Amino acid sequence: MADGDTVEATKALEIPMLLEVPVGPQHPALHEPILLKVYASGEEVVRVEINTGYNHRGIEKLAEKNTFYKDIFIVGRVCGICNTVHANCYVRALEHLLGKEPPARAKYLRVLAMELERLHSHMLIEAVMAEILGFDTLFMHIMKDRELIMKAKEILTGARVLADYQMVGGVRRDLSSEKIERLNKILDLVEPRLKYYMKLFEEDVTIRKRLEGVGSLTPYDITSHGLLGPIARASGVSTDVRLHDMYEVYSEVPYRIVVMDGKDTLARMMLRWEEAIVSLEISRYILKNLPEGNAVPDEKRLPRVFPEGEVYTAVEAPRGELTYYVMSKGGTMPYRVKIRTPSFNNIINSGFSYIGHTIADVPVILVSYDPCISCMERITVVDFRRKERKKLLLKDVVRGRV
Amino acid sequence: MKPALLKEVIKSIFSKPATIQYPKELTPVELDARGRHYPDLSKCIGCSLCMIECPANAIIMKKIPEGYEAPKRNPKKIYPSINYLKCVYCYRCVTVCPTNAYVTTSEYRLGTPEPIFSDDLSLKTLVSGGKSD
Ligand code: SF4
Ligand code: SF4
Repeated sequence: MADGDTVEATKALEIPMLLEVPVGPQHPALHEPILLKVYASGEEVVRVEINTGYNHRGIEKLAEKNTFYKDIFIVGRVCGICNTVHANCYVRALEHLLGKEPPARAKYLRVLAMELERLHSHMLIEAVMAEILGFDTLFMHIMKDRELIMKAKEILTGARVLADYQMVGGVRRDLSSEKIERLNKILDLVEPRLKYYMKLFEEDVTIRKRLEGVGSLTPYDITSHGLLGPIARASGVSTDVRLHDMYEVYSEVPYRIVVMDGKDTLARMMLRWEEAIVSLEISRYILKNLPEGNAVPDEKRLPRVFPEGEVYTAVEAPRGELTYYVMSKGGTMPYRVKIRTPSFNNIINSGFSYIGHTIADVPVILVSYDPCISCMERITVVDFRRKERKKLLLKDVVRGRV
Repeated sequence: MKPALLKEVIKSIFSKPATIQYPKELTPVELDARGRHYPDLSKCIGCSLCMIECPANAIIMKKIPEGYEAPKRNPKKIYPSINYLKCVYCYRCVTVCPTNAYVTTSEYRLGTPEPIFSDDLSLKTLVSGGKSD
């Protein structure tokens, strides 16, 4: 080629700065339908985009189209794992609307159902964490012991998973003394197992190596991003609706708030074990001090028409603060039911916490947030995709927390 | 450093498997667990309340077929038919029925490729119930 000849370029070679790894919505390392678009430079994660919307079922709209009573069963199906807390929050909203107060025995039984649920929910996520770490044996063992709690739930509510246990003015089935004995036996079996697993997570070298220092969140991160529940408490932020609101009978049961300072994934998992033990203590106390009386309302006599009004209720779900806003314009159907679930805050707002870690840490951090996608997917799909094209150094991107 | 799970693993090798070999072996469920339920037509008055209250819309009201004697207390001669594959086993129908007509069982083996309904079970109660009425 002589000097001065111009050659028209036909092809341009584009060298990508980043490697884009889609994790999900179907992925062996994820148990929930969510898409994490992970941008990595080498092994280092520099940016994570979170896409949701794979499990949207329109439950809030469905609630507006059904009667107040049908909605009790519909909101219980927002999420299988935390169905009693959803039902409790909604049922308490209805009770406020009607100005009804359930009897003490019913309140105790409700708390028992909710604490058993917290227990199995925490055990589940610990098991999933073990599996994500490649520790399948531990996963099997925890799940085997979790089955005991599922049995306890079955004894109490009549079904392993979907309890359908709560009704305006009480609960839907009573607890006999023979059942109390059986529940106590199950709790006796589970307690040493919880302590054993807790020790295991504390001492096992592999687990510690994978979890320690991964996905650290400062108290500032927690408050600025509105993260809730065990995630907040593991970073030293003491927030718990059971403590602030003292709904149902949390002012009477031996409840203590667990707060840890570790800030990392390990702290979050240890906190869940500790909370599981607290739940077990509460359940034991309730079984011992169950007040007498009738806890089961006659469902045929409940008022069909609700007065006008607005109610806002909150409960501490296993994953954090869950709130319901119920608006009634009179009649038999609610005008609006707004549900805000903890997973929505915890997953969508936590994209920043993956940055700087390796790709292998992404599922670990996600699981430590205890994602419950069915829980968050009733709300508007939030898309973080930005169409901007700016040239930045990778390190700037990391620091800028894109 | 010692593997913390080792003792557990050795114990598990010598113990009975925790897995239940369903369907060869049945999963033990509580006797009062919420399973298949059907209306006893000798008690049902055909008020349709269960159909109205069912959150899953699993119940439809059907005419009592020819050849069955409808009880006098059921003037409309209709009965609820539950679609078991639509039903979510919340037992709302059981608790709202004014005559407590529902018979509850803890039967959970309901997986079939075809839709299954409560009609056969209900109409059986009518043959015997109708005679004694
Ligand atoms: S148990 Fe619930 S879902 Fe099933 S038929 Fe009765 S009301 Fe409908
Ligand atoms: S509510 Fe009871 S009496 Fe009324 S139709 Fe249903 S089963 Fe029959």
